[in-house]
Amino acid sequence: MIRIPNIPESVVVKHGSKAWPLGLAGAGLLIIGSLLSWNYDPQVLGDLSISFNPGALQIMAIAQSLLAVILLLADKGPLTSLGQWADTALALRALATWALLFMTMVLIAITAEAGGLVNIEPGGWISFLGAVLLFAASRLVLPKETRDLAQARLRGWAEILVIVVLMAAILFGTAYALGLTDAWEFVLFLMLVTGVVITGIRAGLLSWLGHVTTRHKHVLMLAAFAVAFLFPFTQNGSDANMSIASQVLIFAAAAMGLNIVVGLAGLLDLGYIAFLGAGAYVGATMSTSAFATIGWKPPFIVVMLVGACVSGTLGLIIGAPTLRVSGDYLAIVTLGFGEIFRLTMFNLDGNNGPNLTHGPNGVPAIPDLTFGSFNFGDTHTLLGIPLARFSNYYFLLLLLIAFIILVFSRLNNSRIGRGWVAIREDEKAAEAMGVNVFGLKILAFVVGAFLAGLAGTIKAHQDVSVTPDQYIFLESAFLLAAIVLGGMGTVAGVLIGAVILKLLPEKLRFFADYRLLLFGLLLVLMMRFRPEGLVASRRRQLEFHEEDEDLAVRVEGDIAEVVI
Amino acid sequence: MDTFVQQLVNGLTLGSLYALIAVGYTVVYGILQLINFAHGEVFMIGAFGALTTSLVLFRGQTALWVLPFMIIGAVIASVGTAVLMERFAYRPLRNAPRLAPLITAIGISVFLQELVRLNYDHVPFTSWNPLNLPDAKSRIPFPQIDVVTGPAFQIGGVTIQRSAIFTVGALLMCAALLWYFINRTKTGRGMQAVSQDADTARLMGINVDRIIVVAFALGAVLAGIAGVAQGLQNNNIDFRMGFLAGLKAFTAAVLGGIGNIQGAVVGGLVLGIVEGMATQYIPGQFGGSPWKDVWAFVLLILVLVFRPQGLLGAKAVDRA
Repeated sequence: MIRIPNIPESVVVKHGSKAWPLGLAGAGLLIIGSLLSWNYDPQVLGDLSISFNPGALQIMAIAQSLLAVILLLADKGPLTSLGQWADTALALRALATWALLFMTMVLIAITAEAGGLVNIEPGGWISFLGAVLLFAASRLVLPKETRDLAQARLRGWAEILVIVVLMAAILFGTAYALGLTDAWEFVLFLMLVTGVVITGIRAGLLSWLGHVTTRHKHVLMLAAFAVAFLFPFTQNGSDANMSIASQVLIFAAAAMGLNIVVGLAGLLDLGYIAFLGAGAYVGATMSTSAFATIGWKPPFIVVMLVGACVSGTLGLIIGAPTLRVSGDYLAIVTLGFGEIFRLTMFNLDGNNGPNLTHGPNGVPAIPDLTFGSFNFGDTHTLLGIPLARFSNYYFLLLLLIAFIILVFSRLNNSRIGRGWVAIREDEKAAEAMGVNVFGLKILAFVVGAFLAGLAGTIKAHQDVSVTPDQYIFLESAFLLAAIVLGGMGTVAGVLIGAVILKLLPEKLRFFADYRLLLFGLLLVLMMRFRPEGLVASRRRQLEFHEEDEDLAVRVEGDIAEVVI
Repeated sequence: MDTFVQQLVNGLTLGSLYALIAVGYTVVYGILQLINFAHGEVFMIGAFGALTTSLVLFRGQTALWVLPFMIIGAVIASVGTAVLMERFAYRPLRNAPRLAPLITAIGISVFLQELVRLNYDHVPFTSWNPLNLPDAKSRIPFPQIDVVTGPAFQIGGVTIQRSAIFTVGALLMCAALLWYFINRTKTGRGMQAVSQDADTARLMGINVDRIIVVAFALGAVLAGIAGVAQGLQNNNIDFRMGFLAGLKAFTAAVLGGIGNIQGAVVGGLVLGIVEGMATQYIPGQFGGSPWKDVWAFVLLILVLVFRPQGLLGAKAVDRA
């Protein structure tokens, strides 16, 4: 979080009245500058060189200034009825800060790409000046009291419309971001999104959306899946992004499974990738690949179940003896188990053991799935849009994720889920209250393993080959990081965490080398500054900030609201 | 008989290495109840510290007098890493839920490995390589030192590597010094007091923060020496060496009873010997060196199931 020291009170009181005109002037300059050309070189950052024909980045700048104008008008002007709900001052500060960062980054990008500051045309400087003015004005705006957002209600259909619009924005935003090939443009777009989201948080928009979505939970779920389902149709038959998307989904499915073990039951499993691997190896060795070593070739649905059961059984074998010793020991035992799995797969090559896995070479050339006459490797045309190989797997994985989320939320809201939470919080107290601690722990472990096994069988076919080095400890660490980053025990958080951890490295090739370094640093910093994750489950948040009384009161309020 | 003695020697050598690293886990755990997962990386950095000392100050020298300097270099590098790690990553999390330091440790571990892999041969974010160091992305040959490396001794039918004698000797010396430090010095007794009851120790005027730093540093000294020993034994080092060694050493610490320093030494030796014997005496396809790591981890699981307090431990192990 960026914190800028506040301007002394006296200055704000003295010049507070100038904030409003200054802000409007800044926004105006930003718009005018963005309509002019920013640089000479049409090769840089998608063409920004033609006046009155704004490029993508210039449209982003204009959008930011329009948002600033809305906030200013809500503070004082025709939109004040909106302003009594939203915290316009804080929102404006966030927006102006990010707009300034955005423009600074644009200037840096032009300088770096075109070679030198001389390449920036007056339009760029005017926009930058506008952003500076807006920033100065935002520091002078006085915060004011706002009304409780829980009371802000629209008509039912309007609230549903808001959800639909939001989801559509996410869909097209994602499709647009994935379409960007230039790393600078991608980073700048991410900055825009971050800025807008933080503005929303500061304005209270997000907590209002939170209230709206709790009122229309099913609509939200449906809309989210509709968006995910429609995503391949925005790709015009290109399979490049779909390949990334289906990788993300596999990763997210595994992370959701691990979330049951770590997030709900609080059992730290550092060898979880082995369960995914077990499923993948079952899928591979029972496929019709020429290198498959098991003669039985049942339909894929049976293979999935076998894979999941093998994985679940492994979970039982490893869990039953070790779940009695709790905490850190479990982490190490599962880590050891992960290594045992990898080494075993590596060694079962015919020389050092029976030939099951072809050792380090793995099982290559796994054919695509077929259901009846539907071959996953072929391109199918739906509504005039061709959907190629990865799109097919994407849809299958979407079904799988839906199933996993269903399992997750049903368990979470049941007696079992409450038992897990009790164990996580205080095992001894839970046992004293009659919770079957051992049984529930085993259940969490086995369910997690089972789901990973399901995902693994699909992964084998999607990846075409299965080798031991896909299932190293680092992959388990990545899964764990997705959960920690997103927010333990939440569905949305883990999905976001998985998307961030898988998508960013794919798009930002230039930091590919530093990817792991930054990943390690990120884990350390997250634990230090926001251990509850980006999307925190309220209960978790309280767990990590026990001394925060205000938070405790708010959490109690929220829980009360949900119950009512 | 010769093969048995040979495997015993191999096992003891390996076990001495594990024991040196395991002490670091056990000392920190005894005081903070924290598994310092990144301790394996401290060991790795120690080995690189020795390599750097040798390459920068004594390039091409193989005389025995270089060895003490290499050990000092290793110890400076590993202690520095461990102390910084404690100060900036673990100390702020001292009252956090138990999951937090464990995840932090994974983060540190990945970070340190990558730091060495990417930046050992140049100043970060530049291509400037003032000390003319080798690229750390693959294995780097470790300097050979007269007397401690070279032709092996043959006693009867048993081969004893010179570096093995160095490793076992290092363990013996470290164990003796460690015993003296823990039982005969003021700081060492302070450590015992803190590990028994940190709050009471604080009331008695012991600076607990300082003791914790000392614990990290003490483990790091031994890990640094182990790094040198490993380099001399294998003739090369790489940035990944800390992971498996760390995991094995942790197994050794658990085997001996975590929190118990004698236990760590005994556990290390037992684990090494079990690995050596498993290589030789497990019949059929599941014997031999490809499976020795598997048997080590199976041993870890068995110990945790049947004797979670370890061979020498008496403490009840039931930490949430």
